[in-house]
Amino acid sequence: MDNGNKHIGIGFRKDFAEEFLEKKILKPVFVEVAPENWMGIGGYWKNIFDKVAEQYPVYMHGLSLSIGSPDPIDWNFLRKVKNFLKTYDIKIYSEHLSYAKCDNAHLYDLLPVPFRWDAVHHVSKRIREVQDFLERKIAIENVSYYTPVAAEMTEAEFINAVVAEADCNLLLDVNNIYVNAFNHKYNAEKFLDQLPLDRVEYIHMAGHEQVEPDLIIDTHGEPIIIPVYELFEYTVNKLPKNVPVLLERDFNIPELAELQHEMSLMENICRRAWNHEYAVA
Amino acid sequence: MNTQLHEYTRNQQSSLANYVRTGTLNNVEGLTENRVHYYRKLVHNVLNDSLQSAFPITYDLLEEDEWYDLVEKFFRYHDCQSNEIWKMPYEFYQFTISNENNLIMKYPHLNDLLLLEWTEIEVYMMENKPPHKFNIEGDLLNDVLVLNPEFNIIKLKYPVHIKGSREINKDDLGNYFVLIYREPKTFRVQFVNLSVYFAWLIARLLEESKPLIDIYEAAEETFRVDKSILEKNSYQFITDMINNKFILGFKNDNNSK
Repeated sequence: MDNGNKHIGIGFRKDFAEEFLEKKILKPVFVEVAPENWMGIGGYWKNIFDKVAEQYPVYMHGLSLSIGSPDPIDWNFLRKVKNFLKTYDIKIYSEHLSYAKCDNAHLYDLLPVPFRWDAVHHVSKRIREVQDFLERKIAIENVSYYTPVAAEMTEAEFINAVVAEADCNLLLDVNNIYVNAFNHKYNAEKFLDQLPLDRVEYIHMAGHEQVEPDLIIDTHGEPIIIPVYELFEYTVNKLPKNVPVLLERDFNIPELAELQHEMSLMENICRRAWNHEYAVA
Repeated sequence: MNTQLHEYTRNQQSSLANYVRTGTLNNVEGLTENRVHYYRKLVHNVLNDSLQSAFPITYDLLEEDEWYDLVEKFFRYHDCQSNEIWKMPYEFYQFTISNENNLIMKYPHLNDLLLLEWTEIEVYMMENKPPHKFNIEGDLLNDVLVLNPEFNIIKLKYPVHIKGSREINKDDLGNYFVLIYREPKTFRVQFVNLSVYFAWLIARLLEESKPLIDIYEAAEETFRVDKSILEKNSYQFITDMINNKFILGFKNDNNSK
């Protein structure tokens, strides 16, 4: 699959699932799926997914583990995750540094964990337990948030503390950094400089939507804007190693050529930065 | 090191989650109040989109206010347990039939409609079930028939599977059976209206590893109809079910698949 792309993958979406098999326009080097959408199913979508998994490396990005929740970890769910990881030989499993379940109810969205020391210890212990159970490290994603909650430290301090204490990897979502920097009025590059970049295993890139003069929502439904590409370039130049990069596009799906164009732009940035010899997937 | 989450932090998280579900904001420290509503809006969009997509006919039947009120109450009062969002509509169905008496009074076929729409999803998404070994050649009467295991049969009081949901009225009240199955190669979900007798027949084929000839004998006793008439009346149905891949073949020893 050498089309010049060595680093960039894309989220596997039902909206354009067949394209992954036909390969007419999109040329990803890997695909990413949410386990919640693909585990324990059969029929048409399992058939398509199995074919795609034969042709591409699959990475997994979870939605509902709710690692930052006060609720207990759902070990039954995690057992299924472990089995899925093994079945499809999935090399990267990432989750969000947030919570999506609270008071025994799933919320189907990602809420921000309070940036507090007790939360650091609580989340880190849970990540370690998950890693022990899965017998692998997981990558934790910095999430976008629209309001702080009872914070006693900065976001960068919180992420650093969790990654260090949990001894996990970091999924760096560059768009989320841009969104948070805009929404909370800090400098994105300075923020990035504070992160443990040696722990970055994986990068996410996406588009967003500005809904108010001072508020951006991380929608994954728009093209990536130039300042986010610039921040991405800044990021990849800072990383000590090359890592896979994902284009996330969940809604408002454009012509696939537009998505491929975005992937090519990112690949060019990676090439300039990494002068690579090795593919990542 | 104490890794216990403090009660204060726990309460902060709980209060934010509760706000997202109910719209009632209690003592969350440090919030940017003119932004927090976006969380509630985003969550409700996700939930509403999933439910509309799962229950398009129900969504069309209910008044707009009724639908949004129902979705709102479901999220407020029901603790969703499904990790997989595609399974959450089953909880919505259960919540509605257990709690929404007024809606059910207004739309007596609402239970059936939700069940039908959910079962379509369930059958479409269900994990693959390998069928018993079978032969495509066999004796219709004397060999045991092998059924496609990817199906469900539901019993309804209203004919929501064959009549427009706005045209159904109390005169339609009765007993209806619907076979809902997934075609093995195309994975399409098919719906078959069943009489009481054919629903009974499929249940016997499923539960008892007996050929039709024995089942017709039992049917003669159950329905008090001569078995030759039953056999004659069943022939077209059985043939259709073979052609439409609900009956896959015959359980016999000759080169079974």
